[in-house]
Amino acid sequence: MTELLQNLIDGLGRGSIYALLALGVAVVFGIMHLLNFAHGELITIPGYLTYWAFNQGWNWWTVVPLIIVSAVLSSLLIERVAFSRVRGASDFTLLLTSFGVHFIVAAGFLLYVSASVKPYPRPGWFADTIAVGSLNIEIFDLAVIVVTIIVLAGTTWLLQRTMFGLALRAAASDFDTARLMGVKSDSVIRGAFALSGFLAGIAGVFWIMREGQVTPTAGINPMLQGVLAALIGGLGSLRGAVLGGLVLGLAEVLLRSWLPVGIQNLTTGFVFVMIALLFIFRPGGLLSVPQVERV
Amino acid sequence: MFPNLKRDVGFPVIGSFVLFLALFGGGLIYQTILSNGSAERLVTTMLIDAIIVIGIQIYIGNTGILSFGHIGFGAIAGYVFAVYAISPEEKLKRIPTAPFGLTDTQVSPGLAILIAVVVTLVFAVIVGIGLARSGAQSGSVAATVITLALLFVTHEVAKSWPELTGGNRGGISFAIGESLEGRALILVVLFASMLIARLYGQSRSGRLAIAAREDSLAARAMGVNPLVQQMAALLLSVVIVSVGSSLRVWQIGSILPDRFFFDYAMLTLVMLIVGGRNSVTGAVLGVAVMTGARELARRLGQDGFEVFGLGLDEAPLDWVFRENLNSVVLGLAMVGFMIWRPTGILEDWEFDQWLYRRFGRGTQTEPGRLAELDDVPAATFEASGVSVAFGGFKALTNAGMTAESGEVVGIIGPNGAGKTTFVNVITGMVEPTDGAFSIDGVDLTGSASHELSRSGLVRTFQNLRLFGALTVRENVEIAALVAKEHRTERTLRDVDSLLAEAGLWEHRDRRARELDYGNSRRLELARAAAMAPSFMLLDEPTSGMSDSESLTMIEQVRHMAATVGAGVIVIDHDLGFITGISDRIYVLDQGQVIAEGTPDEVQANARVQAAYLGSAADR
Repeated sequence: MTELLQNLIDGLGRGSIYALLALGVAVVFGIMHLLNFAHGELITIPGYLTYWAFNQGWNWWTVVPLIIVSAVLSSLLIERVAFSRVRGASDFTLLLTSFGVHFIVAAGFLLYVSASVKPYPRPGWFADTIAVGSLNIEIFDLAVIVVTIIVLAGTTWLLQRTMFGLALRAAASDFDTARLMGVKSDSVIRGAFALSGFLAGIAGVFWIMREGQVTPTAGINPMLQGVLAALIGGLGSLRGAVLGGLVLGLAEVLLRSWLPVGIQNLTTGFVFVMIALLFIFRPGGLLSVPQVERV
Repeated sequence: MFPNLKRDVGFPVIGSFVLFLALFGGGLIYQTILSNGSAERLVTTMLIDAIIVIGIQIYIGNTGILSFGHIGFGAIAGYVFAVYAISPEEKLKRIPTAPFGLTDTQVSPGLAILIAVVVTLVFAVIVGIGLARSGAQSGSVAATVITLALLFVTHEVAKSWPELTGGNRGGISFAIGESLEGRALILVVLFASMLIARLYGQSRSGRLAIAAREDSLAARAMGVNPLVQQMAALLLSVVIVSVGSSLRVWQIGSILPDRFFFDYAMLTLVMLIVGGRNSVTGAVLGVAVMTGARELARRLGQDGFEVFGLGLDEAPLDWVFRENLNSVVLGLAMVGFMIWRPTGILEDWEFDQWLYRRFGRGTQTEPGRLAELDDVPAATFEASGVSVAFGGFKALTNAGMTAESGEVVGIIGPNGAGKTTFVNVITGMVEPTDGAFSIDGVDLTGSASHELSRSGLVRTFQNLRLFGALTVRENVEIAALVAKEHRTERTLRDVDSLLAEAGLWEHRDRRARELDYGNSRRLELARAAAMAPSFMLLDEPTSGMSDSESLTMIEQVRHMAATVGAGVIVIDHDLGFITGISDRIYVLDQGQVIAEGTPDEVQANARVQAAYLGSAADR
């Protein structure tokens, strides 16, 4: 029982990061039907800045805002340089463009920094735990969960209660009609990328803390988890993205503890198999958005 | 299997051979000029990459589904090949505790390739079923993520199952012991891959897959089951990728998880995209161009400006020409092509089809008029008691109609009368809450779109759905291919005659998307007629047309239907058109049939005047 509770908290901590990443993926997908394979770069770029900042003598109090701001700016920059030029193109083109952007950023760091691992210190409290009854809760997990709840509440408010949120939801449900109603496509798309970058920035703070190092291909894993979580939840559904992230995090932690010792390192493989099964039985994901074929 | 032997087999054989000679010859020239070991290796690598890229082209090109997973299949094949091909002595050093007693097994490399193909095919079937379940179609995002997940699973398993794969670290990589001597095998496989890819593209299955790539819904409405064709393309492409990957492992002499991962997936995709993913010629061109570009970038990165003896020392561009420049070139090529030319250099241009049009076809004369048919078996369409409710809202209540061969039956009603719902029911898009429809007593309720058209009920679309990138003739030919298989009891009309009959003869080699509106409509009619239908269902055929165009359309619809001996069910809101074209009319209002009869009877009906004509007159 204790172990299960322990795992649940670990899983929620992990899943919260995935949920933030997935929500960022889902916001952009909703607005321009782009599944952003370059989403992980919003963690790679701040990751290298973190490495640079610590070499300049910064500390986590100043690095955290740096991570968030740089993630938002990177997201806007990538939109400006690459995605704005393929708006309205076929899904095939959009997928490959984002894949190419991922590759350019990774190759850029390979070219100008190096392939080797760049380490930086984790915060001092990183491994600390607090005991609640028989449970040992990592402060890190607790921080992730609390921050995620606050950010999700803020995002919900933004989407439900502000003009921008209304424009974003309208554009996501029918872009052309939203434009006819006076929604400016440029500003709503940029707003979506800024929001996506902000969510990736928050997730990035924790991801970067946890990793303690950065490499040119550091973006692959957060990208994959974000994309998969968005897909598990049902592409196009924002609630689904959050749910998908939590489910993915819990599945990883629980599987790791249930699998026999010999094959524990195959956890990721098993998670993928479970996702495949989910798609076979529920092709649209957990909260699938009904897709009506227009004749 | 092949509609036209000369065009679909003869010329592809010649074309593939020329293409093969061009790629290999180009490699030989490069290798002779430089005459060093690294140039020779580069050319060998290029030839193997070409095999794998052509394999991927068969799937991506013909189905339009972006797949990262083919390199995952390549990893499976590569490991199976390696595990079977290396000697027990080597295996004792690398993987002494391999499962399934594999440590002591060794087979000849040829047999190892065969085993690799078979094992990989098993995985391909499983993945293929998953793709089909996810509703894969051209550009499908979920399908792409599934293939991406496959790439990651294989990589993950290869890394974390060291007993079988030797794991991730260089020190325990496989040494196969001997690497591939000579290129004979590579050359044979390369030519075979080119030929197979071209033959598949021209074959019935390939044509149907391409139709579904262009417009999945229209293809299904024509009797194509895209999932079957996608599976065929997947399995064929996996066979070629497996053989190519085995050769790759054999040539390098070792295998590591990272050899078949993101970087290689990126490289092969860029090669495919740059040349033109919809064409085998394009794939080959892309392999050549990207091999050259990467090699140039690599040398620039290594030597600064000293390339091919051209010394430009102290270059100001040192910050560009650095090591790993070739990776950046790959990424830039991908994004650049996506922004400025997403269909690649050649789009879907095929060398052998160009040869055929230039030299193989000879001059063609327009075929004569077709006689109207009177010997096809008569058929009856009947729908009865059809009701559809969306929640509490009753869109249709107890609607019914009949139609006979040779008859034109109109369905009309004001907006919201239930016309669209009725069409959706008899085209298999909406399942009725109650009621049934049939042709000659064969119940068709609940059939999928592709089954309906095979049974003889062929539809057109309100907003045109042609296969835009295909030529006018190909659009009709694909319909004829399906009809030949499923409509054997009906008389099939010649494709060229149908084109002439529809007045499209002079446009036959143009792409369908280049046609003007009227010709597009005529093409859709001709395509429907080529299906040898018992009934043609026309959904608002005059939408977007002027009155005079609508009048000409009446003649054309009646004529095309008579040419294939089909009955016509036509739905429209244009009263003039419906009364002009129909022998009998059903009037729908608020989800119910309120009147039926000849145009005169219907126009005289008081309820109709109140419901439809009255409101029309008020406007």
